Amino acid sequence: MEVIIQQLPIVIHALNIGFMQTLKLFAVTLLGAFPLGLIIAFGSLSRIKIISMTTGLFIWIIRGTPLMIQLLIVYYFPGLVLHNPIWGGGESGRFMAASVAFVINYSCYFSEIYRGGIQSVPVGQQEAGLVLGMTKKQIFFHVTLLQMIKRIVPPISNEIITLVKDTALARIIALQEIIWAGQAFMKGSYNISGAIWPLFFTAFYYLVFNGIVTVMLAGLERKLDYFR
Amino acid sequence: MSILEVRNIRKTFGNIEVLKGITFTLEKGGVLSVIGSSGSGKTTLLRCLNFLERPDDGVITVKGEVLFDRNDPKTLHESQIRRKRLHFGLVFQSFNLFPQYTALQNVMLAPELFMKENHTWNAEKARLADEAEELFVQIGLADRMNNYPHQLSGGQQQRVAIARALIMHPDILCFDEPTSALDPELTGEVLKVIGKLSEQNTTMIIVTHEMEFARDVANQVIFMDGGVICEQGEPHELFGNPKEERTKQFLMRYNQK
Amino acid sequence: MKKFMLLLVCLLAVCSCAYAETDSEYVKAKGVLVVGITDFKPMDYRNEAGEWIGFDADLARAFAESIGVKVEFQEIEWNNKILELDGRNIDCVWNGMTLTSEVRAAMACSNPYCNNAQVVIVPAASAKKYDTVESIAGLNFAVEHGSAGNEQATLHGFKCTEVQDQASALMEVASGTADAAIIDSLMAAAMVGAGTGYENLTYTVSLNSEEYGVGFRKGSDLVYALNAFFEAGYADGSISKLAENYKIQAALIKQ
Repeated sequence: MEVIIQQLPIVIHALNIGFMQTLKLFAVTLLGAFPLGLIIAFGSLSRIKIISMTTGLFIWIIRGTPLMIQLLIVYYFPGLVLHNPIWGGGESGRFMAASVAFVINYSCYFSEIYRGGIQSVPVGQQEAGLVLGMTKKQIFFHVTLLQMIKRIVPPISNEIITLVKDTALARIIALQEIIWAGQAFMKGSYNISGAIWPLFFTAFYYLVFNGIVTVMLAGLERKLDYFR
Repeated sequence: MSILEVRNIRKTFGNIEVLKGITFTLEKGGVLSVIGSSGSGKTTLLRCLNFLERPDDGVITVKGEVLFDRNDPKTLHESQIRRKRLHFGLVFQSFNLFPQYTALQNVMLAPELFMKENHTWNAEKARLADEAEELFVQIGLADRMNNYPHQLSGGQQQRVAIARALIMHPDILCFDEPTSALDPELTGEVLKVIGKLSEQNTTMIIVTHEMEFARDVANQVIFMDGGVICEQGEPHELFGNPKEERTKQFLMRYNQK
Repeated sequence: MKKFMLLLVCLLAVCSCAYAETDSEYVKAKGVLVVGITDFKPMDYRNEAGEWIGFDADLARAFAESIGVKVEFQEIEWNNKILELDGRNIDCVWNGMTLTSEVRAAMACSNPYCNNAQVVIVPAASAKKYDTVESIAGLNFAVEHGSAGNEQATLHGFKCTEVQDQASALMEVASGTADAAIIDSLMAAAMVGAGTGYENLTYTVSLNSEEYGVGFRKGSDLVYALNAFFEAGYADGSISKLAENYKIQAALIKQ
């Protein structure tokens, strides 16, 4: 116990640095995947066969393969096969590669949720907009969008909470997120070796963060409760 | 001159021909009731007039302007449809109010967007708000303007939907079975509003199953059966002295109910 | 379709053309030697200020200086070391790497610079019971996947679980999920026993003797520069002094 108290400040400091990477990856993924997912959803809803089929194929591939493999391909493929290591070897390059893989992966999941959300808004809503002389764009942004958002908050919440934990997968390309930081203390750095507790302590960070996320999403759900 | 001329409208879904050549005219200020059993093509006809469906053949002319002519490519451009739709208004059977907006916002949304697009919003918003409030007085819901649709009864929602259509000043206002989704005790308030509109010389096409109302409000009635106009005429003739056998049978079935 | 074929041909052409310049020209042109490491005391680890130190880290820093470039340490996932090297994300693996036949086949390796052995880690309480190869034959082992310890376990026919790294292998023993682990003796000396995080573990049997080397990309000319650097450093005593800092002087190999 005494040892742990001695180690605590050092461990917390290192875990905080790792957690910043986790948070950054989380934020970038959401910022990228929210709009990209919508574009992909429009692609799969397109009446032009070639677009909807290509989009469908893309979604199938991305959802049908593990995110871990996608991370390995995005990061190593340019250097190994194209002989052009665009990401570089440093932490920032690894972060960019991880962001790209995460954004693509999550956009596909989001797009399917969006698609379900858009399709669940009764067609009468769109027709009411049309006969009032609104454009398709106006109907989407002023009529459909908010109703879609209300419907997709619960399934999207699920994905967001999964994302918080999925960020740990980025360690496969040596992105030093919080679990990586926690494991370092088993290996002798910072003059601490064989300390196992920091690894398990990282769970606490996830738990607290997911608590905050859950409360915020529940707030959003309540905010949209004013209409049916 | 007629405000609306419809000539030989045809529409096929898959291999079922729903409209087999519909032709009629409507005078300005006239009220046309369309009756007929389910599946006779009444709703499809309204949807064609509002450009929610594209007819396979035929011509639609409003105030002398040809809005649609299957044989004239110039009238078929997608980009023109929006402007053409504004000649018509449509009140749906299921109201289709926007649930996230208050009653007032529902009525104001479309003109507001239209004015913002044309940069006349600042100049006209006060006038528009006044007009909207007048409409709420007219439909008897001045005290419920700021309620959301789910806080209103079906009859109240349908009255808001009528106001929403009126504020766009359509040349012809269409009703697609406006009381079919309502409890019987709520139909009266909606029919009263429509009746008042006819007194103000609003040009209307009303698809309805309320025979008594169809007779009282209209100056012209069409009975549709199997995608064609089986009989048309003035209400007292068509209801009092139907000429076609199918019309007689249809009216008899209704009188028995 | 024609356009698509053209694109495919271009892509293949790009793929098949090898790098034109030599590896040392490439590294000098970008001005930095990226050293792939893992957290591995006493060879590469962080001091309390968070900087990378250790026998290997200090030596790599001096080598980079000698060829006139800066050094950058990049932690890698050990299983991906060949991908990292061939994909040019790192320039060398310098991390107490045992020169196994697999490593020699995939990389251009320097002369060996350190002796090492694979040793068996057991709980200190049962150390007396397990001091011969015969006595440990029936235990459940934890070994790092693809490591020299893994090779030894297979060689001796031990029942073993492959884990992610040597530190995880130690954790398996400490938590009782494995009876014993096989790790590098240099690491064992630094990480188990009195005064370390694993006070209740100790090491007993040595299974082999082996050597550490530095790995570059296949065909790299930096190997020659490093071998020359090792020779000079050994001759003037600077490498020995460094080894004393990390208490591994006994394992040093004469150059």
